[in-house]
Amino acid sequence: MEEDTRDRPIPSGTAASTPAAQNGCSRQLTDDEVDRYSRQMIVPGMGKEGQLRLINSRVLIIGAGGLGCPAAQYIAGAGIGTVGIVDGDVVETSNLHRQVGHATSRIGMKKVESLITHLRGLNPLPSYIPYPTHLTPQNAAEIISQYDLIMDCTDNPATRYLISDMCVLLGKPLVSAASIQKSGQLIVLNCPPTPQGLVDGNYAPCYRCCFRKPPPPSSMVSCGEAGIMGPVVGMMGVAQAGEAIKILASALHIPPRPLADDDATPERNLRQPTLLIYTYDLESAVGPYSFRALRMGGRRRNCFACGEGSTLTLEGVQAGSPNYEQFCSMPTSRASLPQEERITAAAYHAAKERGELSEHILLDTREKEHFSFGSIEGAVNVPFGKVLMKAAAIMRDGGSGRDILPVEAGDRDAPIFVVCRTGLDSQETVEKLKELGLDDGGKRKIVDIAGGMRAWKQDVDPSFPFI
Amino acid sequence: MAPKPPQGHFNILYFASAGSYTSKNVEALPAPLPLRKLFSTLEERYQGIRASVLEHSMVTVNLAYADVPDEEGPEDKDEIVIQEGDEVAIIPPVSSG
Repeated sequence: MEEDTRDRPIPSGTAASTPAAQNGCSRQLTDDEVDRYSRQMIVPGMGKEGQLRLINSRVLIIGAGGLGCPAAQYIAGAGIGTVGIVDGDVVETSNLHRQVGHATSRIGMKKVESLITHLRGLNPLPSYIPYPTHLTPQNAAEIISQYDLIMDCTDNPATRYLISDMCVLLGKPLVSAASIQKSGQLIVLNCPPTPQGLVDGNYAPCYRCCFRKPPPPSSMVSCGEAGIMGPVVGMMGVAQAGEAIKILASALHIPPRPLADDDATPERNLRQPTLLIYTYDLESAVGPYSFRALRMGGRRRNCFACGEGSTLTLEGVQAGSPNYEQFCSMPTSRASLPQEERITAAAYHAAKERGELSEHILLDTREKEHFSFGSIEGAVNVPFGKVLMKAAAIMRDGGSGRDILPVEAGDRDAPIFVVCRTGLDSQETVEKLKELGLDDGGKRKIVDIAGGMRAWKQDVDPSFPFI
Repeated sequence: MAPKPPQGHFNILYFASAGSYTSKNVEALPAPLPLRKLFSTLEERYQGIRASVLEHSMVTVNLAYADVPDEEGPEDKDEIVIQEGDEVAIIPPVSSG
């Protein structure tokens, strides 16, 4: 992919390192630029100087999805001079309700190409640099080092930790956002960047300072599984662009001199940044929607990446240490059940068709929204969260393990089959039911349907509406 | 806004997976409670929540980040004790987008 330079020379090195970018007086604005950016330049505090800083800035947007699309629109619209976009995926129909930089006519196109097409229509002046690849420990340094500010618009924990570590090592400010279902988070990290290992003082935190350990994979759900409301992730992406523009236009990412002069300029105090949490939930007790601004701590003395004596290096990351994939998929209790406690979707179906399955209870542990799109005949729905909650309540307060079964399942001793979406929750449910003694010391059969409804669609009923 | 906690209680807000795990967005728990006892108090109510949610979550008290001391660790006289009327939040990382 050739870099599109259009009419503007690409500044050598990062803009932040050139005095011109810091004082924003490298050149005059063109008539087109004055016209295009006038409404933001007349905002108090922005001015021509702020605009020139934006034009001289290079921003990297990692992820061209639900966060990256709205973020990129405002980054491009504001006239950031160089916009890099990293994403290895292609546009799918299910993206379009929230990924507003793509289009129905571009389904199947690489997301970076699709988004840049959209951005050029919005503003042809910036240089757009496509990286139609996933960010990896091997390519991250080369890409990230080219930019002044990084926006984490990704969708998985391994990449989030990789991006944060690279921003620490390369001294880049990071604007990070995330969103799922009906809530979102936003935080500015590593801004202004300070060398790794400095801890005696007031320094900005990195992602690891805030979230030391990734959650177990079992609790990490993707938008594909848990769902996401377009306006929620859109709001977070737009806010993310807002923070990036503010930082670059005001040069907040450039450490003030002298470094110790913290408090004289309170607007620079991103060293204890705010975590913005947006919730949009009709059932929420904290209101139908709410913003909460939570004050974070600064750099953690013992942070693995930026703290005292950190052993994190660029060479190490490139060579595979730390191992991000492994770090984010730590061994969990999600043990695979032994063969005799499982049945394949096809075998279950065949046995049922042949009338070999006696009376049994079929529990479907998907969320009720998934269940409502279709289920295996005779299945009763007990969402996995309810299973865990009821199991905890029974273990705490005592009571019969049978209470975990829905009333429809009755007071029968029939064998229990458990099915979920992809075959993980169902295994854990089988284990829980046994812990509660529902297997009657092994007399009652409790098994999971391996591969869940995904396998059912694949091997039994291709018309099943699997979502 | 969350309802005011009853006398002798504090509010605890559960965000993201903490909300799914507890099936609640907010509840009132008895105060005062030393912050170091928070996780074990929650574990008693929601078995398994410590490993699944709490250990990798951020905790705030009255809208500010708080370090939860190790329950077995040495006592520190400056340690945070959650007081009546306080607002505590459990904030797990979200990584989708």
